[in-house]
Amino acid sequence: MVSIFDLLAEYIKEGRIKLNTHKFHETYTVHDPCNYVRKSQISFGDNYGELSRWVAQQCIDPSLYREMCEDYMNNLCCGAGGGAWAMPYDKERWAYGSMKADQIKNTGAEIVIAPCHNCRDQIMKDLPKHCDMGTNYKETLYLWELVSLCLDFEPWNEAEIEAGHAARDAQFERDGVELDEEE
Amino acid sequence: MPEEAVKEIKVDRKHRKIGNIAPELADRCYTCGTCAGGCPATGLVPGWDPRKAIRAIVLGMEQEVIDSKWPWVCTLCGRCQYQCPMGIQLMRTFRACRTARERDKVPGPIHKGTMMNLQRGNNLGIPRDDFLFLLAELGVEMENDEEQPTPGFYVPVDKEGANIIVTINSKEPFGEPDDMKFWWKIFYAAKEDWTVSSTNWEGVNWGLFSGDDESMKEQVGRVIENARRLKAKTILYPE
Repeated sequence: MVSIFDLLAEYIKEGRIKLNTHKFHETYTVHDPCNYVRKSQISFGDNYGELSRWVAQQCIDPSLYREMCEDYMNNLCCGAGGGAWAMPYDKERWAYGSMKADQIKNTGAEIVIAPCHNCRDQIMKDLPKHCDMGTNYKETLYLWELVSLCLDFEPWNEAEIEAGHAARDAQFERDGVELDEEE
Repeated sequence: MPEEAVKEIKVDRKHRKIGNIAPELADRCYTCGTCAGGCPATGLVPGWDPRKAIRAIVLGMEQEVIDSKWPWVCTLCGRCQYQCPMGIQLMRTFRACRTARERDKVPGPIHKGTMMNLQRGNNLGIPRDDFLFLLAELGVEMENDEEQPTPGFYVPVDKEGANIIVTINSKEPFGEPDDMKFWWKIFYAAKEDWTVSSTNWEGVNWGLFSGDDESMKEQVGRVIENARRLKAKTILYPE
């Protein structure tokens, strides 16, 4: 079992992926998902608050980083945790989320990095619509989305491409997958 | 004070549903209010906050907590539990309140999604063939992307012996399929040996949130079973 933070950090540290740090020039901040930080600490005795910030800072110049909560073990929930994103209590979720929006506004950051599907949906889809995110805020990205957008990679070599195609064709045949002719 | 106004509160500790999970859950509370003061949900449900909910359980009014909106508006963020000076497991207690709610009264789709997951392998009931076709199609699309092509790429399904097996959040194949490419591109660049299971690939465990321990364990078991069946070395759970 590996977390996304461990895996991304491993790829970066071992040089398996290279990142273009000049892709983004915006100020940014990192949100702490309760499950990966506080609740991970409670349940497993370890958390990803620091590693999450480290990964983000490998992608965008650290001088552009704006801290949301120095004490990340006590950072606020996005407001949609525990299944609340799917629950029919919209007004409560927005009121809760306004505290997260305040935090984001106070950082002055243009980009919010959310290392969790649920937090990202609340911060990206609901908070800008129903809360005051300030005038600087532009967008929210998954942590792995940020890494993916900053990737600097070479296409595979001929042998690797051939092996990929052969494996793909065998798999499609096994599973009965038929695609229309590639254009 | 007139005599009839004085009522003795009888606390029946033996027959409590929630307080009996562990004796330390509620009885140690000194009502200091650290939990309520630090809780972002305080004030969102009239009449309730974490301290009052714990107090209600101590005083034998647990059914009122179970029937209230409180355990569901609480996002189980764990701030209260993390800071409680008496070590009371508030988050666990409120989740136990969710568990005690009748299943047909669980708000929103999380219980229905959990049942769907048990029947069809993902919360949204996406059929296997549709899923496989989508992965195949998106793979070709990503391979031939104009701006950043990834020649040789495809989504390895049910590949034996891979280094990493990854779960998928059903909202992505359902509504935001292109978002799956973020991880795929990272795998491509890292030349990772990875795979996805063709069945029971759901990464969202709504049993955790609906308080349904059995379904939660069943789903986790399936993820592990996929890894064993395909002899994958590592499970990546990108939630």
